[in-house]
Amino acid sequence: MRPEDIVFATVMLPLLGAALAFCAKLLPKGRVASVVEYTGALVGLGLPPLVLILLFPVVFSGQSVSGVVGQWFVGIGITFRFDALAWLVNILGFTIGTAAWVYSLGAGPKGPAFTGVFLIQTAALCATIMTTDLFNLFVCLEIMGITSYVLIPTSRKAGATLASFSYLMVSASAMVFFLLGTYGFYRLTGALSYEGISNGLQAISSSDTVLSIVSLALLVSAIAIRVAVMPLYGWLPDAHALAPHAVSAVLSGVLIKTPLFALSRILFLFPAGMQVGELMGIAGGVTAVLGVVIALSQEDAKRLLAYHSISQIGYVVAAWGMAISIGVDSPAGTSLMVAAFLHAFYHALFKGLLFLSIGTTVDVAKERNVYILRDSIGKLRAAGERIPVTFMCFVIGALAISATPPLNGFVSKTAITYAMKGSLHYYLLSAAAVGTVASFIKLSRIYWPTGKRGRLHPELGVLPGSSANPQTKAYGLVARLTAQSVLAVLCIAGGLAAPHILTIIGTLMSRGGTNIAVPPILYSTDNLLKTGVTTLGGILLFFVATSKIGSRVLHTIRTRPRSFQGLFVSFSLGTAVLAAFLVVGKI
Amino acid sequence: MGKRKAWSPTLQACLAIGAMGVVLLPVFLSQTPWPTVARDYLMQYGQDESGARNLVSAIYLGYRAFDTLGETIVLLVAVIGTMGLLSRVESLVNTVGDDDNTIQTVSAFSLRGDKRSSHVLRTHLLEVVTGKIGPIVLLFGFYVMLYGHLSPGGGFQGGVIIASGIVFLALGNQQDNTSALSKSSILGGIESVSFLLFIIVAMSGIFFGKGFFGNPLADSAYPVGFIVLLNSIIGLKVGASIGFMCIAMMGGHD
Repeated sequence: MRPEDIVFATVMLPLLGAALAFCAKLLPKGRVASVVEYTGALVGLGLPPLVLILLFPVVFSGQSVSGVVGQWFVGIGITFRFDALAWLVNILGFTIGTAAWVYSLGAGPKGPAFTGVFLIQTAALCATIMTTDLFNLFVCLEIMGITSYVLIPTSRKAGATLASFSYLMVSASAMVFFLLGTYGFYRLTGALSYEGISNGLQAISSSDTVLSIVSLALLVSAIAIRVAVMPLYGWLPDAHALAPHAVSAVLSGVLIKTPLFALSRILFLFPAGMQVGELMGIAGGVTAVLGVVIALSQEDAKRLLAYHSISQIGYVVAAWGMAISIGVDSPAGTSLMVAAFLHAFYHALFKGLLFLSIGTTVDVAKERNVYILRDSIGKLRAAGERIPVTFMCFVIGALAISATPPLNGFVSKTAITYAMKGSLHYYLLSAAAVGTVASFIKLSRIYWPTGKRGRLHPELGVLPGSSANPQTKAYGLVARLTAQSVLAVLCIAGGLAAPHILTIIGTLMSRGGTNIAVPPILYSTDNLLKTGVTTLGGILLFFVATSKIGSRVLHTIRTRPRSFQGLFVSFSLGTAVLAAFLVVGKI
Repeated sequence: MGKRKAWSPTLQACLAIGAMGVVLLPVFLSQTPWPTVARDYLMQYGQDESGARNLVSAIYLGYRAFDTLGETIVLLVAVIGTMGLLSRVESLVNTVGDDDNTIQTVSAFSLRGDKRSSHVLRTHLLEVVTGKIGPIVLLFGFYVMLYGHLSPGGGFQGGVIIASGIVFLALGNQQDNTSALSKSSILGGIESVSFLLFIIVAMSGIFFGKGFFGNPLADSAYPVGFIVLLNSIIGLKVGASIGFMCIAMMGGHD
């Protein structure tokens, strides 16, 4: 087989697995059906990583596999390109996807239909990052979207369907404008592949420049909705907070980042891509700060995590946008891109870990309010967890997101701030780090003991979603704890092995096969001092936030008006601002 | 405060429409001549390369079949989501009971025949007519599906016609003689198996050296066979999915 055939295994194997899972739905419930379903999951989640290992030498030497699907004429077929970026995002997707699927075995939603849709989502991720065709990108984004709309309400929580519906409405409307942008580019250049469009754009007359800029703005803002950058974030908190825990982990770990990295393929090639990067970078910095402020005000544990996803994606977007505005072929740009991907990857690990461990905790305690829930360790022990694994997992995740050395969050956040020292983004992100520490102190209160003994209710001991059969119950808990522990170990390993990982990602991102990224200095006195100051600032901020005035301010933020139509207004205004920014920059 | 609430949505709508209108103006005002590369290429080589006289099907099942796979998946997942919602509405009705009229009316379509208040509308006349028309519609659907490479039509269009044939058969069910095609287990089976077949056919090109989604019959005398095959698979899948969903909405899914 040629390499062109092998790279599509990352898309086709999950789809094949999904088809098997759907066939399992036909069989009568029992051993055979489960075997077929699990075979599907193994084919879809287990085999593609082996393919990726096979492809590693190719991408590591700076080469890429590209071509046209079905070997048709390039001007009319669908072009694709499997390079280092695609390889890295695939690794991210399969790591988190596998962990989340294992967790779902214990926590639900179970069943062949869930497995099938989940695998289709994974396939869509791989296809999105590989495509270099604008219409194919549209199709991939639609599949990614529709699988999320279907997976979010499977938690059967009140409001989950509405959250999914608002996401569907705003995202579907944005996709209409994405299509209009595609139309604009096709009208101008007669091509749909990125290379064809960028070649065609060099020949257009000056009167058509505005059309090309508007088309780009339409594409970018439709994708920005999926990434949940600041003015366009409104759909995310409810959707991520009310989804099943395993789906939340994938949504905020993988799904909001893949479109961002797919977008970078467009921005590398198109004129005005650099200005888009500049504006997105600033938006990312602002997102990081505002996201954490709103997160600090939340009382629902999972919604607090959801706002943190917005804040952390702000870090990624800030570094990513700055990298594109500098130019990704310069050492500084490459370093920023490496840092952006590293943080995307590490955020997926620790946020996945946090969503899963908090998920287990709130399932056991049947209470999600941060102000009410206390002594979760005791409740987990009553549920059959002899060693407080969930608590330890939470601590690792919380320390990682608060950038405590030597965990992975410290490495990636230091890599980002090291590369952007002295810029406006640097100060924004430093401020966001203080808020992160404060809000995780707040969240960790759910594990604090109450001081009063004997308040445990016996009925708390049963995990929802598991039957009364003790064997099934133990099995469910094992699946949950396995997924959590694996992610926790990866968080620690990602921190300890940071120099090697930085070299590998640096080489992969450098395109030429040699590492041109500047490795950040991780454990300098400066950085450790900054970590100390940030932590102290966080503790201080926590006490301010719990004071009388602080909690009144937070209450105002929490109960700020949020409306369905606000999503559309912010989308259209955001698009207009982006288009205006680009037009002014061009003239 | 009350006054502000009244005009605030209007203001928001005006803002959104105004901003989008200004942004979209250049898209519609463009005077650039239309691109001709793809058109010329298709005119010259389209029929020879794909074997299809209907160039639309040459595009969506030949040159851009990967996109079509994506659209099929969107439909598949949408049906799964709809079925999930329907089953939830039904369980909601069952738990609330028949006293609550609001929920009853909202979800009446998902109730079983004898519980449905619109049951009276299903007259004998309707049953006889749909029962007789059903097979003819089904036949026409298969025609549109199988001749998609020659005349306007294809898998998606044929599939929808097949689905309406299935709905007719289901409506025409009289007391004892039930068509197997209106059983949701059969339809679900067709749907899942045709999806599996689609994936296998998509991968088949790899083993003939034509690459992923390549046409394995490209060098044979009948390259169009690939398009006919894909059209049939898509037609069966679309027909089964939409028929399945309609029957579930009529309350016939158990």
